[in-house]
Amino acid sequence: MTSPQIEIQLIAVVVAIACAIPGVFLVLRKMALISDAISHSILPGIVIGFFITQDLNSPLLILLAALTGVITVVLVEAIQKTGLVKEDTAIGLVFPALFSIGVILIAKNANDVHLDVDAVLLGELAFAPFDRLLISGMDLGPKSLWLMGTILLITIALLILFFKELKVSTFDAGLSSALGISPIIMHYGLMSVSSVTVVGAFDAVGAILVVALMIAPAATAYLLTSDLKKMIALSIVFGIVSALGGYWLAHGLDASISGSITTVLGVLFLFVYLFAPRKGLLSVLYRQKQQRTEVSLITFLLHLNNHSEENERHINHLNEHINWQKVRAKTVLDLAQKNNMISIQKGVVSLTEKGKDFTQRALEYIMTNKDDRIEHMKDDFFLFRG
Amino acid sequence: MTLSEYFELLWSDYTLRTITMGTAVLGAICGMLGSFAVLRKQSLLGDAISHAALPGIALAFLITGAKDTNILLLGALISGLIGTFWIRGMTSKTHLKSDTALGLVLSLFFGFGMLLLTFIQKQPNANQAGLDKYLFGQAATLVEDDVRLMLIVTGISLVILLLFWKEFKILLFDADYTKTLGFNTKFIDVLITFFIVLAIVLGLQTVGVVLMSAMLLAPAAAARQWTNSLGVMIVLAAIFGAFSGVFGTAISASQNNLSTGPVIVLVAAVFVLVSFVFSPGRGLLFREIRFRNNRRDLKLKKTLQVMYGIARDHENISHPHAIRILNNFQGFTRKSLKQMEDKEWITLEGQQWAMTENGFEAAKNLYSQQLKDD
Repeated sequence: MTSPQIEIQLIAVVVAIACAIPGVFLVLRKMALISDAISHSILPGIVIGFFITQDLNSPLLILLAALTGVITVVLVEAIQKTGLVKEDTAIGLVFPALFSIGVILIAKNANDVHLDVDAVLLGELAFAPFDRLLISGMDLGPKSLWLMGTILLITIALLILFFKELKVSTFDAGLSSALGISPIIMHYGLMSVSSVTVVGAFDAVGAILVVALMIAPAATAYLLTSDLKKMIALSIVFGIVSALGGYWLAHGLDASISGSITTVLGVLFLFVYLFAPRKGLLSVLYRQKQQRTEVSLITFLLHLNNHSEENERHINHLNEHINWQKVRAKTVLDLAQKNNMISIQKGVVSLTEKGKDFTQRALEYIMTNKDDRIEHMKDDFFLFRG
Repeated sequence: MTLSEYFELLWSDYTLRTITMGTAVLGAICGMLGSFAVLRKQSLLGDAISHAALPGIALAFLITGAKDTNILLLGALISGLIGTFWIRGMTSKTHLKSDTALGLVLSLFFGFGMLLLTFIQKQPNANQAGLDKYLFGQAATLVEDDVRLMLIVTGISLVILLLFWKEFKILLFDADYTKTLGFNTKFIDVLITFFIVLAIVLGLQTVGVVLMSAMLLAPAAAARQWTNSLGVMIVLAAIFGAFSGVFGTAISASQNNLSTGPVIVLVAAVFVLVSFVFSPGRGLLFREIRFRNNRRDLKLKKTLQVMYGIARDHENISHPHAIRILNNFQGFTRKSLKQMEDKEWITLEGQQWAMTENGFEAAKNLYSQQLKDD
């Protein structure tokens, strides 16, 4: 590995961690799309900053851009407060308008400088090592590494200092104000940190990757855990893995680094989305199918319980009476038989002792609707699950 | 070129006419279908889908190797639909909320699209120049075929809209009720989503990925302020959209260095702003006026109530009292006393007021009337 390669990976990792931390809170607060809005609407801030300083590297640019980010949030909330439109519409109205202003400002006044919209939106991580921080002739490393490193340190410091406050205000705004923690201050604090992070990161990696790095690791982690600390840790891990993996994918394909980091994030998310235990798609689908079968089983047993006549309980009759498709009927019948709840003699289905007991308890549950009655039922009765 | 020159040229100049037609039709269809997106609280779907369309465009190019607009748009449509249904799957099957799902689809698809685009650029047969026009949109590249396609799609969606009007309407406002009525909600849902995605994909070429969401939202959000009827809202949104398209094109054509997409979006934003402030029913201005009127009315009645309290203790209700005794009660001014006199609730004489029969009755019935209104 050459030294620029190491530097690029280092920048990518730092950006990923810096984005993952506020990302967790954005996802938990259902404000994930604010990051998208900010990443677009900072454009006029950058452009105006450039007009004032005529220098693309001036810290004023970052300051103004971050300010525009906060203004976006304020505007969205102001529009939302009028009650004329819903929150998502407010977001959708504000950021394209601000972005348009930025694009027009660039087109009218700054056509000849290196400030094109592509660069803002897409970023180019590969160029980051060329922009170096020089202090009295000493090369101290890539500028964006310093910038993002500082932002990351501040983010971590704030996270440690205000962890409890953030946690409370995220999950229970009412409790938090009762405890004397202003949810508004926490909200704007988080928004400011997100805004600064987006601004710092978009220069290196582009607006879209910032959004991906904020939302995707947090969402992936959210599918795996409900513990806030674990979720933050997992997001950071996912961020780092995709930053490094994405870099090497881009290296192999000779393609955009931002694009491949996002792609790795996407693959990671897709994998977890499908296979996560408990919350993954497959396990949810399996559980739903199981629950459907179990509900059918109860219905079936209740039906048997209601009919003492033999002809009502004949296997062929049941098929048409309950009106299930053959496959489902067979699944339910098999399940009931495996669990020794029914016995079949000469095509006549009857409840066993165990089946009667089960049905009785199910009825009790249905009539009283008390959760504790059904809690252990499945464990007590079911040897085999549907 | 000035604006008036533009409108003169509009009838003679082929290119201008095509572009203007294109943006107008696009604005109309976006406004029409955007109304549904806004009312279904799917405002940001446009943003997500327009980003999600990018890998479709890139893949369509990679597979066919041709830069035929229709094939690329087909790719965009397919990946947009995959994105939409994935968003739906995520929100219904996991505990991820819709904003997270939208953000994920938006950024992950777009990033993957970027990967493909840069990959394509490195290919030897790269006649890919122009693929990135989908990112920012170039209304100038519209040709008559594109406009014809837009017109056809608009026509089809109009017919579908009219055919399923009742179903769409009821689904919008009460989805559960629709289900109990025996409508196939899934089908209607997929149908409307399909057309929204189609409109988004059509707009990509003109206004680009980033600004597409505003095209979908702004006319609908503006139209919503003027009416409570779905039909009127859709028509208004279509008109607002079409005007945004025409004016945006006109302004950008009359100036140098102005890309059409952002100008259209800003024109649409002006429509929204004006609607927010000036719409008679919901607008901020009239609401503030109504609010002040109500407050003044309330104050007047409060003053009347205080006077009533004083007058009640006297045998002659019209016994004059000094205005001074009202001093420790806020909410009365010279003006409000004058108004009360105009309403013939009181009579004023010098520094004294006296309640009239009229005013006494009004004050007595103040509370009972409110009870009646409830």
